[in-house]
Amino acid sequence: MTAQAFFIGFFGLASVWFGIVVFRTYSMMRSAIALLFSQTALGAMFLSMQAEFLGVLQIMMMATEMSIMAIFMVMFMMDPGGLGEMDMTHQKRLSLIAGFVSFVGAVAVAVFVDWGPVATTFPDAAQQTVDLGLELLDRSMLIFETAGITILTAMIAATAVAIQPVKKETGKK
Amino acid sequence: MSPEISIELIIALTAGAALFGVGVYGALSQTNLVMIMMGVELILAGAMVNILAFWRYLHPDVAAGQMFVLIIMTVMAIEMAVGFAIAIARFRAKGSVEMEEAVDLKG
Repeated sequence: MTAQAFFIGFFGLASVWFGIVVFRTYSMMRSAIALLFSQTALGAMFLSMQAEFLGVLQIMMMATEMSIMAIFMVMFMMDPGGLGEMDMTHQKRLSLIAGFVSFVGAVAVAVFVDWGPVATTFPDAAQQTVDLGLELLDRSMLIFETAGITILTAMIAATAVAIQPVKKETGKK
Repeated sequence: MSPEISIELIIALTAGAALFGVGVYGALSQTNLVMIMMGVELILAGAMVNILAFWRYLHPDVAAGQMFVLIIMTVMAIEMAVGFAIAIARFRAKGSVEMEEAVDLKG
């Protein structure tokens, strides 16, 4: 086994383990931080796969995103510290079966499908960034611009939904 | 090109499958909207690992593979923005983001 395979496996395992921790703790803060660690391990996995730009981007984006998520957790939860050990799950058996079946199905596809020849040559980090930049500004420009406009629209729509006035119930008939 | 099976590709795809499975469990089992969003994030993370692994080990010369990872990151950001907007609207209207209490949304 190569060093690359070891590190991909190690960070993959860390990412999955922290993903499981997200749903095993009663504390919402711990959940948010576990998800942050899971996504960071994923970024480290990207770095192990020599995708430097995407790995760093993943870590930076997710650190910000999960910090915001942690703030929302504290705002919305009745018991963000999880001291009351309140169970917030339902249909556990169905969910476990669905999760396990999708995992086994995806692994079966990964193992038994013939993926064809493996690439032996690989561009270095600088060349990857050049290729990605040219791809974004050339063939995939429309997709990239659409993604940008969609984010902007989502931000405006999200703000509009969140600030709409709520009718107070006065009790008058 | 070499016809050998890449162990790194299989490891990455297995990690992606595990993240997907954990995400499906989370999205289906949680009653809180924010926790459901965490499950969806893990599902998207699983998809992202798979695409990056395919790009790295099968087609590193095609930069569109990296572009798809960027698109999934965008989808994750949009999901967070829209999800939190719905959560805020629901919290302001009903004082809770528990989905078991959202039976009024049932058609």
